[in-house]
Amino acid sequence: MYWNKSYECMPREKLKELQLERLKRMVARIYHDVPFYRNKFQENGIMPEDVQSLSDLQKLPFTTKVDLRDNYPYGLFTVPLEQIVRIHASSGTTGKPTVVGYTRNDIASWAELMARSLVAAGGRPHSVVQNAYGYGLFTGGLGVHYGAERLGASIIPISGGNTKKQIMIMKDFGSTVLTCTPSYAIYLAEVLNDMGIDPESLKLQIGIFGAEPWSESIRKDIEKKLKIKAYDIYGLSEIMGPGVAIECECQNGLHIWEDHFIPEIIDPITLEVLPHGTQGELVITTITKEGIPILRYRTRDITTIIDEPCACGRTHLKISRLQGRTDDMLIIRGVNIFPTQIESVLLEIGEVEPHYQLVVRRDGSLDTLEIKVELNEALFSDKISNLEKLEHRIKERINSVTGINAKISLVEPKSLPRSEGKSQRVVDLRKI
Amino acid sequence: MIRQVSIFMENHEGRLNNLLNILAENNINIRSLNIAETMDYGIVRLILQETDKGIEVLKKHNIMSSLTPVLAAEISDQPGGLSILVEALTKEKINIVYAYSFLPKKTDNAIVIIRVEDEVLEKAIETLKTVPGINLLDRETLLLI
Repeated sequence: MYWNKSYECMPREKLKELQLERLKRMVARIYHDVPFYRNKFQENGIMPEDVQSLSDLQKLPFTTKVDLRDNYPYGLFTVPLEQIVRIHASSGTTGKPTVVGYTRNDIASWAELMARSLVAAGGRPHSVVQNAYGYGLFTGGLGVHYGAERLGASIIPISGGNTKKQIMIMKDFGSTVLTCTPSYAIYLAEVLNDMGIDPESLKLQIGIFGAEPWSESIRKDIEKKLKIKAYDIYGLSEIMGPGVAIECECQNGLHIWEDHFIPEIIDPITLEVLPHGTQGELVITTITKEGIPILRYRTRDITTIIDEPCACGRTHLKISRLQGRTDDMLIIRGVNIFPTQIESVLLEIGEVEPHYQLVVRRDGSLDTLEIKVELNEALFSDKISNLEKLEHRIKERINSVTGINAKISLVEPKSLPRSEGKSQRVVDLRKI
Repeated sequence: MIRQVSIFMENHEGRLNNLLNILAENNINIRSLNIAETMDYGIVRLILQETDKGIEVLKKHNIMSSLTPVLAAEISDQPGGLSILVEALTKEKINIVYAYSFLPKKTDNAIVIIRVEDEVLEKAIETLKTVPGINLLDRETLLLI
């Protein structure tokens, strides 16, 4: 089943024509309406008319998160605020967040793409969607919400956290689709198990998980523990939010909705565009966004474009499961570790924003990971046994999410260096 | 019941010194101190002459502390003195999480500080009040001793 067959299965030639037409319009708009882009074009000696084919996109400048921050909050909006109906912002760990604005049409397109995504992953109008993504400035909650409503599914806007309540609702309301981060799904599965609830007794069939990188083995683990099919969803607020790309029933890559976005893969060092099938950094251009169109956004996400016909019938290109981030991925004993995974575990345990630092060392030929976690008032106890239990809980959770046996060190509050970028949360002492 | 100030501290040289200096500079007298340690960190437990002022000073110096209610019991300073107390708690199935002694100034008796689980704190107080030879202290009287 498709949500919008004529677009989702559009012949590729026709799809490319549509992309070019939309790209030209988008380039003209940002040139005329946003001084930031106009200056960049002029610096590079480019005029909007220079874009005559899709490959001309390569001549155009990139946009980065730093550009968004420099133009905080509204500098890259192409329409006056009176046409903006919603504002979201991404969580800057410190410093200013990245702000995005949506027009009424943007919200409608987002709901459309999210509805397509839900259907591709098996969601249907009769589905009961338990949406455990956070509602708020983060795009996850409301993004899924509007898509589910557009689809006509019954959405339960429970938001994140409060695991016992999540489970009660899952049982009593008969949720059939769960949307949350993969690490939260694992946690839910464990709590279910602890409570002695057999997942077979639930109506849950499908999980749509995203907002952090996860592996095929985590997928298998979640599918086994929750007795569901687990699908990967991709999105980022700078481009739209959840629903930029989604896995179909083939579970072999995520279709990126090419009638709204143009994906490219670049070498993050030389910035050259790489051929399909080569791993590199994903770059996305939005071609329909009105509030804040973004030209060649460097996502920092590492993936591959899969350019082959898909058995599901959708013609849109696929990106492979995310392989990591250009800025902060760690490989320890062959396992990819992302600070975001650690962060979500700590968040889950402490229920407050955690301060932590990952220290990687090489002892002989073995890599070791130490996670320094700052204590805060919520976590502190004057009983050593409680602190030891806390260390143990963190260790177990990290192990079940990443497969790595890390040493957990509790450190004094405010003792870890505060930094602007997440990358400095990692100290790699290996000499390789 | 009296208030104990508990502080988390990494197990490095100089850390305790730093804490003690801050308290000394602010003229806050420590009436009792106990340190529980692991390989990597410790918990410093203090009974201060002026608890509220102490907390404020620590906060000003970015040192996180928490207040823990503990029992202070005056017992006779002779063989078997403590066992009367422990026996009474045992009879009520009240577990002692940790205990340490306190240095009294103007009495021949001994004072012991006891931490029990929060859930049984009231029960422990009720129990010890009825035991002859044990005098439970609240903060004020304790500090006058």
